[in-house]
Amino acid sequence: MEMDRESGKLEQIVSQFRSKILHVILDSRVPSLHHHHHQQQQESLSHSRVRKTDKWFNLVLGDRPPALENLNFSLRNLFDPMVIDIILVHRGSCSSSVDNLYSPSAPAAGPADETVIERWVVQYDCPRFIATPSGADASVSYKKIYKKSIILLRSLYTQMRLLPAYRIFKQLSSLSQTYNFDLVYKVSSFSHPFSREEESGMKEYIFAPVEALSGCLSVSVTYRATLSDFNLEPLVSLPPKIITDYVGSPTTDPMRSFPSSDKGAHATSFPLRGARPPSSSPFQRPHSWSSGFHRGFPSTKTQSLAGSPPVYRTSPKPYDIASPPTDLYGNRIQNQRVSTLQQVTAYDEYKSSPPFSPSASPSTPSYLSGTNPLLTRHCSETAPVTIPLPLTGRSTRYLSPNSSDPSRHSLPPLSPRSSKHDASSQESPSGIRSYRKIEALRAGESPSGLSNNYSAQKVVRDSKDDSGRFSALLSSSGSPRIGFSRSSSRLSFQDDMDDCEFSCPFDVDDVDVSDSSSQNTEGKKASEFTAQSNLVGKKSQDAAVGILVHMLRTAPPLRQDSSCYSTHSLRTEYEGGVSIASGFFMPRKTADALEELNSYREMKDLLLSKSGTRVVRKEEMK
Amino acid sequence: MNCEVCQLKELEVEHFEIREVLRCILHTIVFHRALGLVRPKDVDLELFEITYVQCGDVELEKKIDEKIDHFISWVEKHPNKKSQICLSFYEVKSKQPSWFTNKTERLYWEQWYVNLNVTQHPKHHSSKSHHTKLVVDPGESATEERSCRRAMVEASLREVLFQIIKFVNEKKDHVPPISEGVIYFPYEITIPRKFQ
Repeated sequence: MEMDRESGKLEQIVSQFRSKILHVILDSRVPSLHHHHHQQQQESLSHSRVRKTDKWFNLVLGDRPPALENLNFSLRNLFDPMVIDIILVHRGSCSSSVDNLYSPSAPAAGPADETVIERWVVQYDCPRFIATPSGADASVSYKKIYKKSIILLRSLYTQMRLLPAYRIFKQLSSLSQTYNFDLVYKVSSFSHPFSREEESGMKEYIFAPVEALSGCLSVSVTYRATLSDFNLEPLVSLPPKIITDYVGSPTTDPMRSFPSSDKGAHATSFPLRGARPPSSSPFQRPHSWSSGFHRGFPSTKTQSLAGSPPVYRTSPKPYDIASPPTDLYGNRIQNQRVSTLQQVTAYDEYKSSPPFSPSASPSTPSYLSGTNPLLTRHCSETAPVTIPLPLTGRSTRYLSPNSSDPSRHSLPPLSPRSSKHDASSQESPSGIRSYRKIEALRAGESPSGLSNNYSAQKVVRDSKDDSGRFSALLSSSGSPRIGFSRSSSRLSFQDDMDDCEFSCPFDVDDVDVSDSSSQNTEGKKASEFTAQSNLVGKKSQDAAVGILVHMLRTAPPLRQDSSCYSTHSLRTEYEGGVSIASGFFMPRKTADALEELNSYREMKDLLLSKSGTRVVRKEEMK
Repeated sequence: MNCEVCQLKELEVEHFEIREVLRCILHTIVFHRALGLVRPKDVDLELFEITYVQCGDVELEKKIDEKIDHFISWVEKHPNKKSQICLSFYEVKSKQPSWFTNKTERLYWEQWYVNLNVTQHPKHHSSKSHHTKLVVDPGESATEERSCRRAMVEASLREVLFQIIKFVNEKKDHVPPISEGVIYFPYEITIPRKFQ
């Protein structure tokens, strides 16, 4: 009974000794395990806790890698030697480093040389039966054995750092570079003999054995004296690079402007395609929502018009194809070993590296939020109304009334929230966030499904609120209005419509004029809009016509015309827009303009006559 | 109990290398004699491509540094001389108390002699700075000579460390039993009188 207990103690010492040695070796030779251990050690140091396994042999090493537990289980036969091979895997020069980086799980393109550079053998010899001492003698004996084992472990620990392989380990442990080689290990109870050629370059060191009661615990190492024969060089890899002027994916709005934000308003293309024959729908103009439209308006913060927000620019993901994955274990997949060597025990080789999880995923640039022209349009002065872009198909259509502008299709719908902020803030963070999430959803990535869905739904919901206001506009005219709202940041379609109506030279009514101010306030009620959809549709046309007419009239060549249709105070509200719009006015002959004006007038009369409104011409008023 | 003595191989070092070399050697020895619970700490030498291990005890590190400072100041006073520093481990035994004495006795069971030959080349300016910068001679030969010399010192230091490991492994019986709660055996670092 007592003998069993004593032999159990010895067995425990030997078993723990083997585990500890394995831990020391793997921690000093296998970079992936070392990183894992080092991280844990950092945590454990802060907590100052010593694990039970650390207390063995008074050497705190931190958590044992899970691999160790499996190995311990497999190599339970203490009388079998434990052979630990440290293998240098050297990838051939013809292998593509980029391929390896991006498909680390795939076999290397070129041949990989594998060389055993170190072999550690831990053995517990029990050649003969020795009478096990009992009682106090046994206790003293175990203490001595334990003490000597501690010293042996200390010297092994020091030795590990003096052998040539340690330098390679340190190189690989450095995360700043990747190399064309790697260190892997193999644990078995059988040692494949070295060839003569291999033996010639190797040295052996045998640690002084620890004599146990019924045996002898010995550790030896056979190692390559020099590793200069191997072409161990770092792989050329480009460091992660932040591309400050990244233009984004092909779906990015190509017309999105780039910095030069302080230049104020840019005269952008605002093609007035009014030269079309009146028979064709004159209201299907692409200008309002074309890619260049948003840039043309001065704003208090021109940076918004510049396009890409800082958040977009500072995307941390490297877009350079040559950059390696940023995973901590980025290049360590090679540690996985598929053994081809003969094994005696059931457990052959262990795959040391954790599963590779490439972190380099193509990040979608947040151009959506920052560079959406509709989002950045907002200002207090002359910003056109930022019509929300709901996620519905209707809104998509609304976005691109002119299908000739393909860039529009790629833009996500504008969050109405983002368009409702004050003039002082050009970008709504919530809008940006919701856009990112939307884009993430589109790209199939959903960091947090529920929240993303919620935000997407919210956008849809919000946009629907606003889209309802414009539904009639879509149905009736199919073209966006050109109205400008200076009164508030809200989309006040009604207000603009009213204003446009008053500025229309050919439908000014004294009654209407006098009621302009009151109607302005009324016009801010969006709820009234749906009930008056038809009327609004027509009025929008009137507004468009009125504005156009006004533009034509106030154009420089036309200013000689002394007749001024509107002296209304609201006229000032359009000055900003007009001044901008006039900048887009294409010089034409006066005759052509007058002709067009007449045609519009006729059309307007026709429409009004249908609605039963009395047409009051200013000419008649004179 | 007999006292085991280990004379380490002589190292030819320059003044600015003393600190690093001594730190490396002394800590390596103490690490093998700190048999209590330790959390090993790897330290990379700056001048050489060698990593040694400390037992992670702050007090110990402080004491060793103090002794090294003392040694360096001695070397400065006695330039171009062979020097030695001794690291001894002992047990405290109380003498049989008597009317007149109640002293404790130190029983040394191990002594390590670190032999240094501190050279100061006439071309190089020696100062009290521990990391004296070498006066760079123009030409490649001086650089090559310096790097060659540095490699030799590194190789010698490595040999000394292997020597320590070998000694520690071969002689274990004289090491006293480990006391509970004690991290390392009592030690002292001295400069032998014959060198003073």
